[in-house]
Amino acid sequence: MNGDEEMPGGPDALADGLLEEELRQAAAVLDPVPADLLQSALDAFALHDLDARLAELTFDSLVDALPVRGAADPPRMLTFRAGEVTVDVEVTGDGLIGQLMPPQSARIELLGGPGHARPLTADPLGRFTGGPPPTGPFALRLRTGAEVIVTEWLRA
Amino acid sequence: MSAGTLHRTAYDDVPYTRGGVVDRTEVGALVRSAVDGDAAAWKALVEGLSPLVWSVVRAHRLSEADGHEVFQTVWFRFAQHLGRIREPDKAGAWLASTARHECLKVLKGLSRLTLTDDPRVLDRASEERTPEETLIDSEEAADRAERVRRLWQELDALGERCRQLLRVLMASPPPSYGEISAALGIAVGSIGPLRQRCLRRLRARMDARGAL
Repeated sequence: MNGDEEMPGGPDALADGLLEEELRQAAAVLDPVPADLLQSALDAFALHDLDARLAELTFDSLVDALPVRGAADPPRMLTFRAGEVTVDVEVTGDGLIGQLMPPQSARIELLGGPGHARPLTADPLGRFTGGPPPTGPFALRLRTGAEVIVTEWLRA
Repeated sequence: MSAGTLHRTAYDDVPYTRGGVVDRTEVGALVRSAVDGDAAAWKALVEGLSPLVWSVVRAHRLSEADGHEVFQTVWFRFAQHLGRIREPDKAGAWLASTARHECLKVLKGLSRLTLTDDPRVLDRASEERTPEETLIDSEEAADRAERVRRLWQELDALGERCRQLLRVLMASPPPSYGEISAALGIAVGSIGPLRQRCLRRLRARMDARGAL
């Protein structure tokens, strides 16, 4: 217990290894991955979409913004980018508001998981709205004239 | 696995041959197969790496609901990024790192709100009863179950750094030091000494309780 590192294989190292293994068994019994979560991870394979272009998260107010003085619960601002296309999204208590840039018409859906999609209302200039706000992981799927873009999955 | 392979310099390169669904040396090949649409490869990845992702969530003491959402977000994003992951062999570290960042985001979001939940309540083991847990409650296993529960309690009392490290370390199959580093944001070189210190502290506490 003097803090020196001993040679591997010594009696203490052996006891460490046994205790670690005992902990591993304890975790498997007392705190396993919940079955429904395991299933949702299996189902997530359906989200592997070769045809869609990925719009990566480039700004998240939760991480990148300075706290606003006096704003108790500021809306979450997100920006996604796929090449020259950007998608700005604001998540409020009422739902989503967003803008596709450069302005263009698109069919836009809010995804909530494998098999969960609901359409948002979009105008010809790429502005879109929809409520209520997402409650778990979500992504947006945008079908422009030329391509399909999906935003990175994110927790609302 | 001999105790020697647990030593930090050896740990990362050692293929896991014990117990796990996924042999870590196969992870890269499984990722590549999944990219090509092989659902069985995806299943093997999920079964082999879910406990690691879950351990990162639990190490960060998220509420049940937040933890579930982070876990799902990580796997949804992994499916989405599958063909774009630069080092498929290190998919475990990718998952661990993504899980850590999502956990930190949750904690950052929470810190802006009033904390109303008791953190100790948040940290309890899953409510769900597993067949194993039911088994362990049977009379013949009562002693063992008692020791496991004490171990769990003492773990909670070890202090935050040790509790976090050990919770990730005990994922099954055993995570590599690269994965632990990604999961907790600590240097690979500090994991071995920290592991040793935390395990010995835990053992001393168990000895003091006369639980051995």
